[in-house]
Amino acid sequence: MNNNKPKIGIYELTGCAGDALLILDCENELLDIFQAADIQSFLMAKSDNIDGDLDVALVEGSVTTEREIEELKDIRNRAKIVVAIGLCATVGGLQGRFTDSEEWGENLKKVYGDVEMTHTKAVQSKPIDAYINVDFYLPGCPIGKEQFLNFFTRLVGGSPPEKYPHPVCVSCKYNENDCLLNRGLPCLGPLTADGCGSVCINHNLPCVGCWGPVEGANLTSAFYLLKDKGFDVEYIKKVMANYSGTKITTFFDQLKKEKQ
Amino acid sequence: MKIVKLKKENLFPFLEVISKDADLWAPVKKNSDRHVFKMIDDLTHINLDYTRTILPPRNIILPPEIRMFRATPLEYEPNFSHVAKRILFGVHPCDIHGLLIMDKFYSFMYDDPYYIESRKNTIILGHSCWPDENCLCKSTNTHIVEEGYDLFFTDLKKNYLVWIGSSRGDDLIRMKPDLFEEEIANEDIQSFIRRREEKDKAFQTEINFTAMPDLMELKYNDPLWDELGTACLACGSCSNVCPTCNCYNVEDKPVLGENCSDISRCWDACTLENYSGVAGGENFREKRSERLKLWYTHKLQAYISKYGKPACVGCGRCVVTCPVDINVLTVGKALDGNGIDSFWSRLSKEVTR
Repeated sequence: MNNNKPKIGIYELTGCAGDALLILDCENELLDIFQAADIQSFLMAKSDNIDGDLDVALVEGSVTTEREIEELKDIRNRAKIVVAIGLCATVGGLQGRFTDSEEWGENLKKVYGDVEMTHTKAVQSKPIDAYINVDFYLPGCPIGKEQFLNFFTRLVGGSPPEKYPHPVCVSCKYNENDCLLNRGLPCLGPLTADGCGSVCINHNLPCVGCWGPVEGANLTSAFYLLKDKGFDVEYIKKVMANYSGTKITTFFDQLKKEKQ
Repeated sequence: MKIVKLKKENLFPFLEVISKDADLWAPVKKNSDRHVFKMIDDLTHINLDYTRTILPPRNIILPPEIRMFRATPLEYEPNFSHVAKRILFGVHPCDIHGLLIMDKFYSFMYDDPYYIESRKNTIILGHSCWPDENCLCKSTNTHIVEEGYDLFFTDLKKNYLVWIGSSRGDDLIRMKPDLFEEEIANEDIQSFIRRREEKDKAFQTEINFTAMPDLMELKYNDPLWDELGTACLACGSCSNVCPTCNCYNVEDKPVLGENCSDISRCWDACTLENYSGVAGGENFREKRSERLKLWYTHKLQAYISKYGKPACVGCGRCVVTCPVDINVLTVGKALDGNGIDSFWSRLSKEVTR
């Protein structure tokens, strides 16, 4: 009976499972979602999951263990289209913030000590495109309902999803907020992909960048702007790297070179 | 044109009467020093002690996103739910000029029904203002208005002088004529003249806009544009707060579970990265410097060549909004060969040192 519907699998790697939860939280649209697609695998929502060929795989979470690398490669082999959903899958997430393996190794030891892992081996946390080709990205922490539904509807209708291309500042202005950078706060709005509707700034809190960097973000100018406002260089790096995962590595490498 | 007098204590009774059949919008306080236009349900929330709102009134005529129509494979259903009978009270002269420029854009060659319908249903009640250090409207000659309002209130401390700018404005007065006085005392005329002289002297900054088209042409390849591009955060805020920016994007939004699409229209900005992106992945203005050059060419050159005045009404919104100081004041001064202290000029020294 599901012959004509696209076969979809929703998978969770390392993360908080917030993106899968958000899909389930689309309560008014849930019946339409299950009606429009043949959901083959969705661990959070059902138990009779089938790991067969797929039209679309939605993958949340970063790759953090060797077992996940294998799992991800298997998903890629089975799916025509792979979509990275959420911050962890698109940029690596909070756990992907260590920008060189030495730093990561030290941290692993600090947290786990000398315990030997038997079931799988931990690897440095990375976004899924570090291991496989990704067709589309849907960022968010978690992904936004409106963006997800637009994305999903296009995908099941056979049209390529359109990426929302703007930084948080666009929503922020529409919400008639006074720019927090101008008030001396370390807001990452201009660097961050929008989709949240500038929710933090609407409540007078600076953007922390939880949707990851927006394409075309001017990291250099933002870095010097915060410096110009009197923030400490190490603090700025910490704030900027917090949610940017591995996507900010090259920028910091460049800064290091400039300093030398 | 006719001018009548209104005692200040009669303002709220007047607004009360005229807003019975329409939504009243007016400036209210957003935080300690910024204001926004909001729909008013309690007249005491109105705060006229403001210089500029965060967003210009074009955002009330056309909200950031509207659904234009729902399209099925066979037909489409236009949607005008953004249109309402509105009274916009407390609009400053610069913003009235901004709306007049919007009118030109949206009726040039073809009328844009989504704008025109909403605009026709909006009554404009202007209000006098006082410049701060970022007001450039005297330079753009938009500090006074001759058209574009239905009524215009000039604040003379105890009284208002009220200019009637249209027959629609006259109808409003006739809804409660006993609140107004036709006789204007000599004392009021004197205080109006004094106010005008004092306001003219209160401007703290100016730009030579008549020189701008030539300077834009002569400095088309100036390193200034790269300096600006280095600092620009590409956040689009300069465009989003500008009363004369009019670009929009149209998007297809398929409806889940139904064989139809909502066609939505939202404000766009040429300073944003994907604005000049086209099918196939090309982008005609990938560089921030090129996008800024386009923006300033439009405001300071192209529009002047066509209409004889800049597409800048001197409201100062870009001046108070851009976090890296790229605005009509610093760019205008830099084009005019003046040294300025701004984040973008400091940054260019920092990164090229």
